[in-house]
Amino acid sequence: MVICEVKCSYKLSLEKVSKVKKISKIIIQIVFLYGILLIGEGISAVLHLPIPGSIIGLVLLFLALKFNIIKLEWVDLGAGLLTGELALFFIPSAVGVIQYDQIFGVVGIKLVTVIILSTILVMICTGAVADYLHKKDVKE
Amino acid sequence: MNVFIAFISLIATIAIFLVSKKAYQKTHRLLLSPLIVSPLFLVILLLLTRTSYEQYNLGGSVLTKLLGPATVAFAVPIYKNLELIKKHAKIIVASLFTGSLVAILSSFFFAVWIGLSADMITSLVPRSITTPIAMDISKMIGGEPSMTAVFVIVTGLTGSITGAIIIRLFRIKTTAAKGLMLGMGAHGLGTSKAFEMGELEGTFSSVAMVIAALISILLSETFFPLLRLCFAM
Repeated sequence: MVICEVKCSYKLSLEKVSKVKKISKIIIQIVFLYGILLIGEGISAVLHLPIPGSIIGLVLLFLALKFNIIKLEWVDLGAGLLTGELALFFIPSAVGVIQYDQIFGVVGIKLVTVIILSTILVMICTGAVADYLHKKDVKE
Repeated sequence: MNVFIAFISLIATIAIFLVSKKAYQKTHRLLLSPLIVSPLFLVILLLLTRTSYEQYNLGGSVLTKLLGPATVAFAVPIYKNLELIKKHAKIIVASLFTGSLVAILSSFFFAVWIGLSADMITSLVPRSITTPIAMDISKMIGGEPSMTAVFVIVTGLTGSITGAIIIRLFRIKTTAAKGLMLGMGAHGLGTSKAFEMGELEGTFSSVAMVIAALISILLSETFFPLLRLCFAM
């Protein structure tokens, strides 16, 4: 009994340690990704590029991964959390609409109509083109 | 006091998000999506406690700041799926280019037709791409990033609700097409729907989401100003 308890609590604390390790790894990786973002923003500002710094950062990270300058495991965990919980990061912006009372009421209904129509059209066109090309490829 | 409110705002946002996410995973009802429930709940909370958005955003903006590194992080799924992208490069680029063009054109013309103001239209245009990038583009072309964020959410919901119906109605057969249209039309929400259909559909969808964003940047820098010029907006 006692041995089991000791063993169990030992296992538990081991799990805790690995969890803490994982969390600190994620935080370090996010800081690292933030660093790449800052480099991207710097390049965008210095060269007066009409491209957001975040996209330059994306391209930089991709190239660095491709040419083995950065190893996948250096960023994988942090990137997984950021892209997996993306929804959380734009909730404050969504709450921000309370500053614009003009988008409620009639204008709001108009906006939603435009979005619904346009989204359906986009999906039909994208799907149709991809389906057509894929079938043609298979035939050839 | 301000630090206190900022801290509470941040904790409350994360807590409400986690709870609503759990609830959504249990019920799988789209209207219970954390994207709808959490902002709504927070807005009510702000109104009840008479907290201004500026005060709330002292804490909230910490999360908004993470959208930047999140965009950078999208390099990882592209890198991981490079073989798939190379193999289907032609289909991916052609269909997403069409999709992005239709997104800009149809938002623009529907909005003009229904009588929306110029700055609304500008905030609408980037709405079919993934939020962090959409907000960046919105800022770049002179829209209102916060409005764009909401439009992106509405777009994602529309796409994931109508996706299955469109696939059936227009007899979309191939996995590539299903994934690409969901990622192009409904970004993150569409991608989670695509993963429900299958692993490959989901992968195509996440690839579509990122590449569509890159194509849209190109188009909103070149094509959209031209369109605006033609119609003197």
